[in-house]
Amino acid sequence: MPISEEHVGRSYPATAPYQVSRAKIAEFAAALGDADNPAYAGNAAVAPPTFAVVLASAAWDAMFADPELGLSLSRTVHVDQKFSWQRPLRAGDEVSATLTIEKVRARGTTAIIAISVALTTSDGELLCTATSTLMHTEETA
Amino acid sequence: MSALVAEAGQVLPGFSRTVTRADLVRYAGASGDFNPIHWSDGAAAALGLPDVIAHGMLTMGTALRVVTDWCGEVDRVRSYSVRFTKPVVVPAEGGATIRFAGTVTKVEDGVATVSIEAACDEVRVLGAATAEVLLG
Repeated sequence: MPISEEHVGRSYPATAPYQVSRAKIAEFAAALGDADNPAYAGNAAVAPPTFAVVLASAAWDAMFADPELGLSLSRTVHVDQKFSWQRPLRAGDEVSATLTIEKVRARGTTAIIAISVALTTSDGELLCTATSTLMHTEETA
Repeated sequence: MSALVAEAGQVLPGFSRTVTRADLVRYAGASGDFNPIHWSDGAAAALGLPDVIAHGMLTMGTALRVVTDWCGEVDRVRSYSVRFTKPVVVPAEGGATIRFAGTVTKVEDGVATVSIEAACDEVRVLGAATAEVLLG
């Protein structure tokens, strides 16, 4: 059964806690060509804002693994992305991500899917909400 | 934090970045996004793409430097959204050069709204790229 409006509101269990490390922050900043920004270095390093995608995309896995939805990452286009931050992710934060399907519009073999991922610390502090619109095309035999 | 002020219409310093295949591999490793369309010619061709394309999130993340280079403190960034309108095609030789620019479009209640542009070969690759930045 393909994804449909029926699946709106479905949430998946939080991802295993991920500890943000100084090394990973430095690696991500370098990948953005931004290794020289002092905010991303040292003991009090914060993560580049879009580092949140590392956690958010880990939460996508549960949705793509849901056999009821029949989704495939290789037939998915990332249409848009939004992040809202309460504060930056910091080295030492232990963060879990929880995905909720917010909206589905299915027409023919194409579905437009809006999802939100909440990033929270193990103390329950909300750090960031990452929302995405995905366009998925069903495989046609 | 030192005080940050802004006014509508203010143009922020832009920059260019040439993204090579090596940069895509580096971003794949840093982000965990190993979708082969970002490193395999065959996978890109199978989807009808002219060549390997950059991760949309790499363009999105790099573009935000227009804001973070200006405002200094990363924790001033409250929100950031983009539409991925056109792929950035990254040939094996020479890479692709993306130009980034930003303009403050609104200042209200201590928050500046910054509109960010990203273009490759004069084609806009991000749509409606907007960040909200805490002033003061």
